[in-house]
Amino acid sequence: MSYLQSIFITAVTMVLINNMVLHYFVGICPFIGVSRRVDTAFGMGCAVTFVVSIAAALSWLLTYFVLSPGAPLATWLVKLANPAFAGTVNLSVLSYLVYIFVIAATVQLVEMYVRKFFPGLYRAFGVFLPLITTNCLILFVCLEVMKNLSVDAGAPWGLDRTLIHAISSGLGFMLAIVLMAGIRQELDTCDVPAPLRGPAITLITAGILALAFLGFTGVDRNLIKLGEGGPEAVLPKGRVEASP
Amino acid sequence: MMDLATMALAGGTMMGLGVAAGWVLGWASRIFHVEVDPRIERVNAVLPGANCGGCGCTGCQLYAEAVVAGRIGPDKCTVGGPSVAQAIAEILGVELGETWPFRPIVHCRAHTGDKLQMGNYSGESTCAAANLVNGVQGCTYGCLGFGDCERACEYDAIHVVDGLATVDYEKCTGCGACARVCPRNIITMVPFKRERMLAVACSNKDFGKDVRAVCKVGCLGCKACSKASGLFIVTDNLARVDYDHYDPEHFVGVDVAIEKCPAQGILYVGKPEKRDLEKLGDIEPPKLVEANFRTTVDRTDWQG
Repeated sequence: MSYLQSIFITAVTMVLINNMVLHYFVGICPFIGVSRRVDTAFGMGCAVTFVVSIAAALSWLLTYFVLSPGAPLATWLVKLANPAFAGTVNLSVLSYLVYIFVIAATVQLVEMYVRKFFPGLYRAFGVFLPLITTNCLILFVCLEVMKNLSVDAGAPWGLDRTLIHAISSGLGFMLAIVLMAGIRQELDTCDVPAPLRGPAITLITAGILALAFLGFTGVDRNLIKLGEGGPEAVLPKGRVEASP
Repeated sequence: MMDLATMALAGGTMMGLGVAAGWVLGWASRIFHVEVDPRIERVNAVLPGANCGGCGCTGCQLYAEAVVAGRIGPDKCTVGGPSVAQAIAEILGVELGETWPFRPIVHCRAHTGDKLQMGNYSGESTCAAANLVNGVQGCTYGCLGFGDCERACEYDAIHVVDGLATVDYEKCTGCGACARVCPRNIITMVPFKRERMLAVACSNKDFGKDVRAVCKVGCLGCKACSKASGLFIVTDNLARVDYDHYDPEHFVGVDVAIEKCPAQGILYVGKPEKRDLEKLGDIEPPKLVEANFRTTVDRTDWQG
């Protein structure tokens, strides 16, 4: 499998199959809170994608060089202080603290940027922009980075893989929230039965959307097969034999 | 030794991160600096921060922006009250005129039993629909009692009690939603110079005889009140309170007017004031009568 193919498959997996909102159920707060209108939903998707990319890249760098057991920078620093040191330095206890710190700083940066260049969007976001800090989607991606950097993971992720993963997670979130906003805009003109109005129909819609995305399960496996063995590997056996 | 080194390294890492993030954010805040009116920050600082929406803006920040932009008055913060209004006025450098909160008054006092010539209406049970139909009730000015105002109220402050919309002044914030939604326009927003205000609870402009035919408690336009006190004006066979000249300290003849009103349609509405409660305190509660069992035994000779 070529490098480009693996990028494509990662992207398809994170956007459609293992969608952050609709498969892992993380990042629900802005998914419900900012999905009233398509344009603000798109803006929120962009903001989350940006924050998750920056935060994941920084987390990767920090984990790789400082936090993971036997990290080069940390070991070098300890050796600098005590040349006789011969153990492994393990700062992984700090990981949650460092990730949240990095996420919060990135969100502050994004908030300043949005306030300067998109005042309308800034007002539409309201409290949800600083709340990206506590968006579990971003911490989730950072923790996945940590998990896949550890020695047990087999093939540890590189920075490129991490970035692709983070960006496609953000794009998956954007897809979900924009779809949801489109549906909710249409719902505004519908005659919803009185007991289901408001949050109830929103949550039901989210559930049905998640069910619909369940239909993508297995696409990634077939895509890998398609990459390795051509179309014959994917088509059902019976059909290939029946064709003349 | 190793633990100590790890701890020092952990602390150093966090400190290094803090310094790096602080430097980057400090740089970013200079690059992305947005010029805002410093008065907005100062106004926002004196606001209570309740984000209640009582002023009509979504949140205190937007109210501060609107005040500085001059779109809204400095005295509209219902939570903060006069002290906050004064502080905002000082920041903006404007004079604060004397203002009072607006509260709704329902100009009708006919409960279900007081309404006459009631029709048998079985249509959509909203005031807006019933108002389109003739003959729902005799009085074409009175409260229909289907509760459009109750549904419009976001603060649970107006309720239809026995066929008449009744304001709960404890909960009312004076947003005016009920007055806007009433199809008969019998709810008006009145500046409440006191917690308890005088009101004429009728809107019927017909002649006395016609009012009598449709309502037991309607204003007859007899002018008994306006003869007794200058506070009342009778126009179109309907008495109303002159709120522009309403001065609770100098009421002349109001008590006489209340007493003389044949329909007893002049009443006080609003929250009970301290003196009202004190007045209640003066009234001796009725003494409990102890049962005297001796009297239950009949000792009279006469038996029938």
